[in-house]
Amino acid sequence: MDAGSDNAAEAKILIVEDEAQIRKFLRISLQAHGYTVLEARLGEDGLALCASHQPELVILDLGLPDLDGQDFIARLREWSEVPVIVLSVRASESEKVRALDAGANDYVTKPFGINELMARIRSVLRGSQATHAAQPLFESDGLQVDLLQREVKVDGAAVHLSKKEYELLRLLISHPAQVLTHQQILREVWGPAQQNETHYLRVLMGQLRQKLRDDPTHPRFIVTVQGVGYRLAIQP
Amino acid sequence: MSRSAKRVAAYAGAAAAVLVTVGLAFLLHRLMPHANLSLLFLTGVLMVAARSGLGPSLLASVLSFLAFNYFFTKPYFTLQVADDGDVATLAFFLVIAAITGNLAARMYREVSMRQHSLQRMSELYDFSRQMSSAAGTAAVPEALAQHLNKSLGRAVWVLLSDAGKTPTVKFEAGQPSDLAPDEIETAWLSKATQPFSIAPWTFFLLATSREQMGLIAIQGELDSEQMDSVQSLCEQAGVALERTRLVEDLEETRVVYETEQLRSALLSSVSHDLRTPLASIIGSTTSLLEYGDSISPDDRRELLETVVEESQRLDRHIQNLLDMTRIGQGGLKLRRDWVDLHDTVSSALNRLRSDFRGLEVEIDVAPAVPLLWIHGVLIEQALVNLLDNAIRYSPDNGRITVSARAQGAVVEIDVCDEGPGIPESERELIFDMFYSAQHGDRGKHQGTGLGLTICRGMVGAHHGEVVALEGPNGRGTCMRITLPIYDKE
Repeated sequence: MDAGSDNAAEAKILIVEDEAQIRKFLRISLQAHGYTVLEARLGEDGLALCASHQPELVILDLGLPDLDGQDFIARLREWSEVPVIVLSVRASESEKVRALDAGANDYVTKPFGINELMARIRSVLRGSQATHAAQPLFESDGLQVDLLQREVKVDGAAVHLSKKEYELLRLLISHPAQVLTHQQILREVWGPAQQNETHYLRVLMGQLRQKLRDDPTHPRFIVTVQGVGYRLAIQP
Repeated sequence: MSRSAKRVAAYAGAAAAVLVTVGLAFLLHRLMPHANLSLLFLTGVLMVAARSGLGPSLLASVLSFLAFNYFFTKPYFTLQVADDGDVATLAFFLVIAAITGNLAARMYREVSMRQHSLQRMSELYDFSRQMSSAAGTAAVPEALAQHLNKSLGRAVWVLLSDAGKTPTVKFEAGQPSDLAPDEIETAWLSKATQPFSIAPWTFFLLATSREQMGLIAIQGELDSEQMDSVQSLCEQAGVALERTRLVEDLEETRVVYETEQLRSALLSSVSHDLRTPLASIIGSTTSLLEYGDSISPDDRRELLETVVEESQRLDRHIQNLLDMTRIGQGGLKLRRDWVDLHDTVSSALNRLRSDFRGLEVEIDVAPAVPLLWIHGVLIEQALVNLLDNAIRYSPDNGRITVSARAQGAVVEIDVCDEGPGIPESERELIFDMFYSAQHGDRGKHQGTGLGLTICRGMVGAHHGEVVALEGPNGRGTCMRITLPIYDKE
């Protein structure tokens, strides 16, 4: 993969991480891809940099010396929609879900290979561009959704979806490349009273995948994030 | 005194009372009319009746009549009755003696019953106090056996069952048990909730609401009142057993819970400490592998240096873990030698050289500090752990000061930083493995991990101390190691 081929290059990325060594390899790799890199060791500095430099993406370590990562996200989300990728050594699902619920877009568990992070960065940046563009026609890897006409096509063939199935698909499309937690989806599609009825979601997701002819073991469109939620896979 | 002896004494007392009355009557009979003397005798009979009950009072009345008749009625010194009035006197004596004697006897019975029940109540009270304050499950059956033995005056044995099996004798009060195993078996299998007898023993069931715990065996037959009282005592003991069981269960649960908490806190702290350097190593190496061509030679070198440094850091963490296990198991063997503190300090700083990220480090070890009789590697590790923390909490461009001086019989080594400081209430807690581990992965306390606990363990093995103090001018934190100075003998 050669650096600079990505149309998201030149994007400004802020790294908020207290470990100097991790900041170092992130900076070197991101710069090699043509990204502009900002660095902060502490959470407060990171928030200040977000305000003054308006980065396109924030890479955030959850365990900061001065500020809990969850609080960082909550405070950032009060005034900014900048996508956030969370880095954490905490492998527990509940921590990830908390971060995503607070407004993070994706997460990577330490230790990670640089490829994994780069893929997430590209995907999140593409997703945020797609969101900003807000086109009425969504298209990715053979999946076509006309948000105006409410028409869905897979590989050119029309697919008929129920109201709830369409709602679910539309929700994923409106947050492309972002992991949506079970609770977030249940809240949006069924309402706050049903946000713990995970089995509703499992059943509906099964139906939607069947109609889209999406194989859960090799998903083309909807990726399961085990124990956390779902993400729409975006291919250019 | 036995009952028959008491009775003989009572009759003797009655006779003596009559004798005294006769004496008094001789003294008084010149002063008072004859008829009034009978009143004197009547008084004597009444007194006997009031004190000794029906039998003695009847004896006293007959004796009184005979004496009265013999000594004080005409014809004197005969038992002949000249006057009909004297017959009436005899009749009155008998009737009055019968009535008052009866009354007195009833009164006696009641008083002695009251006394008996009072004593039983106070014994019961003592018992229930023992039951409610019994510290452990074992204390309850023992107290029950002793109480029953005392109040019944019989041999009492407590048999306790282990997990529903046939119970065995656990406490003996009065005399050693002579119960045969098959008799115990029979009694246990019948599991009657009512007391039951297998001559010559009476068995009672000892049970809580959850399970049958054992048997109480009492030698001999019991009357129904005793049965009731033993039964109620057994029930009381059952309630007490239930309580002590619950307390013991709770305690057990608490210990299990705390151990579980400690284990998971330690695991999460260890995984944090190990994964952080691993993240740098994997990140740097994958960066080199994937994008090596588009990275400048200087950056490539930096990434490789990162790999080396972080590998060393990982090694330090693993060493810490091993040391902690050894401290925890008491297997830490000191290999003392004469060590120059300057060397220890500079070697500790050397190991952390790559972590200083532009912090200013000031070293002030007084030249007069004597050689220390220590295990150098361990004290170096203790210093590394303190410095590691100081680095972590220092603000950018902060200053870390390492100073040492002889102070009487000890050497003080201070590691001071300009970080946020530690509130006084937490200065002792941070050395607690549980505390730092619990807070180790979050916020301000991130990464403290086990370092301070290990530091204290190592210095403690040298009979020294580590404490957290306020930094100079109220800024930051000073960690102070105190080590005793030994003479070179």
